[in-house]
Amino acid sequence: MSVDMNSQSSDDSDYDDDDDNEGDMYDYYDNDDHEDGDKPENKYDDPEYFEQESLSVEQVNAFLDEEVDKASKTLKVSPTIAKVLLKVHNWVPSELLQRNAEDKTNLLVETHIIPPPCSKKAKLTGPPSNGMCPVCLQKTSVDKLNALACKHYFCKDCWTMHFCVLIEDGVSTGRSMSTSQIIIYQGFKLSSQQSHFQLSFCPGPGCDIVLKAEQPAAKRAICTKCNNSFCFKCKLHYHAPTECEVIKKWLTKCRDDSETANYISAHTKDCPKCSVCIEKNGGCNHMQCYKCKHDFCWMCLGDWKNHGSEYYECSRYKENPNIANESVHVQAREALKKYLFYFERWENHSKSLRLEEETFKKINQRIEDKVMKNAGTWIDWQYLLDAAALLAKCRYTLQYTYPYAYFMEAGPRKKLFEYQQAQLEAEIENLSWKVERAETTDRGDLANQMDIAETRRLTLLKDFLPH
Amino acid sequence: MSNIAAARIQREFKEVVKCDEAAKCAIKVEMVDSDCMELRGEIAGPPDTPYEGGNFILEIKIPETYPFNPPKVRFVTKIWHPNISSKTGAICLDILKDQWAAAMTLRTVLLSLQALLAAAEPDDPQDAVVAKQYKEDPQAFEDTARHWAQVYAQAPCNNPGCSAKVNQLVDMGFTETASREALSMHSWDVEKAVEYLMS
Repeated sequence: MSVDMNSQSSDDSDYDDDDDNEGDMYDYYDNDDHEDGDKPENKYDDPEYFEQESLSVEQVNAFLDEEVDKASKTLKVSPTIAKVLLKVHNWVPSELLQRNAEDKTNLLVETHIIPPPCSKKAKLTGPPSNGMCPVCLQKTSVDKLNALACKHYFCKDCWTMHFCVLIEDGVSTGRSMSTSQIIIYQGFKLSSQQSHFQLSFCPGPGCDIVLKAEQPAAKRAICTKCNNSFCFKCKLHYHAPTECEVIKKWLTKCRDDSETANYISAHTKDCPKCSVCIEKNGGCNHMQCYKCKHDFCWMCLGDWKNHGSEYYECSRYKENPNIANESVHVQAREALKKYLFYFERWENHSKSLRLEEETFKKINQRIEDKVMKNAGTWIDWQYLLDAAALLAKCRYTLQYTYPYAYFMEAGPRKKLFEYQQAQLEAEIENLSWKVERAETTDRGDLANQMDIAETRRLTLLKDFLPH
Repeated sequence: MSNIAAARIQREFKEVVKCDEAAKCAIKVEMVDSDCMELRGEIAGPPDTPYEGGNFILEIKIPETYPFNPPKVRFVTKIWHPNISSKTGAICLDILKDQWAAAMTLRTVLLSLQALLAAAEPDDPQDAVVAKQYKEDPQAFEDTARHWAQVYAQAPCNNPGCSAKVNQLVDMGFTETASREALSMHSWDVEKAVEYLMS
């Protein structure tokens, strides 16, 4: 009964702003509040809940200026210096204050705000008396040469050029010549935002929104402007329950060797004598290694001498198919098999998700057909789109459980994880089946299935999502 | 080429020609083309090193943004050194990368490279094979570096042992360069070198 109530209420909100929600496949991602409307306690129960706000460039600048202002007042330094110091500490004021209290001098030296004390070289005191800039070797008047605290004097053009080159190279605060003046550059502002621990750039193409979270974590951030959803911490696609480092490892692995590994696994075996990798691209089972000229049977990998006259079939293999697994390279192939097992599932769900848009089109088409045939009104059928959106959401989480499982150590916890994963998978397939075959406007059964699938998904995330 | 770069290079060129080190034939630069974008440097192997008596030729390319960016320098003469690639001559030296400063000149670069020949940094290697040999088998490293200096950099005092081994492999049908590289990589173990060349 409560399930029915839920879908009823979501229907109502569709009614209110249907232009907004119609056919929007990110429905579930964006409008969490419309789903959680009747159970506010969900905010604290939902393992995926993540408090965030979207800021425009002006708002971000204002926010950063405020932080700089605060720090400059507490530390009693100029705002420019406060900014450099904050940036070095990833904008975490507490770290900066602690460091400042511990050893202020070293802090200022390390951040290149003051030069190291008593450098071994002869102390420079003033500009060169002949007024020549030592970089461009042009003569100018002495008063036109400028220097930082280290007293190395150069002309204005050379300073400008130096800053331009450093900024182009992406070095803005790393070098002694480049502290204070550089801040006038926009480039520095950009890198400041990127280093602030509470801010995260929306990686959407051409999007200039910056997201801010009080407590940054590897949670789903959603840009209010371009609807892009990504992990707040690493900016890759949202990847719960897998952690940032693990998903990076997994994606690198997939890029590196999925295709090659697939092929090698499907078409090759190692020579039982010299271990060179051999591809069999035709012919009978009598193989001769091109490298060590060893004759062997492709099926059982045994010596061909013992095979007698059975040229095309291997009786040893028929009796004991495991015989080929007794080779020394079995371990490598086992590892590959394990990887392919997880990769196939990962790829499978990823493919399903890529077809998502098409699924939505198909469902919309079906709804139109039904309405034309007078089988219920358009409103009656909207629950199918909700179901499809939930299906996509569950599939998404399921996809990201495979890298997690791949890198998990064997043990009771992995068993539990795989059990829950299997449960989720089963419910998702059920839901998928039901969505495809929904023929009536009676949504009870489907709504029930939606609830089960979502509960399974949340249970898995609650147990395994790192807090 | 920008005005600053051209003015600087011409000035630095004169500085090298006039300096004390040039008088002692330790460093040298020549123009390769008229617009100073490419230069040819030469440094003498420092005394009391395996490179002593050798003459090492460098390719120096001046970037548009010189002197705000470092010149691109590479060894043309093949050399056996942990911080220089034995294959390409690429150099791993901090002042040619992030520690470059606009006040440095061609003279300081050439002198730094000469200093690098005298004091290798095997913990920050460009050529891992050479660095490993430098740390694990210093005698083999010295023999190899000396042999390479003789063959490629016209250093005197022949080491007949190494040349004999190279010739031995050449007689087996391998090219001289490949034989020398294989032997150097395997600390002059003929058997291992042959195995490497066959694989």
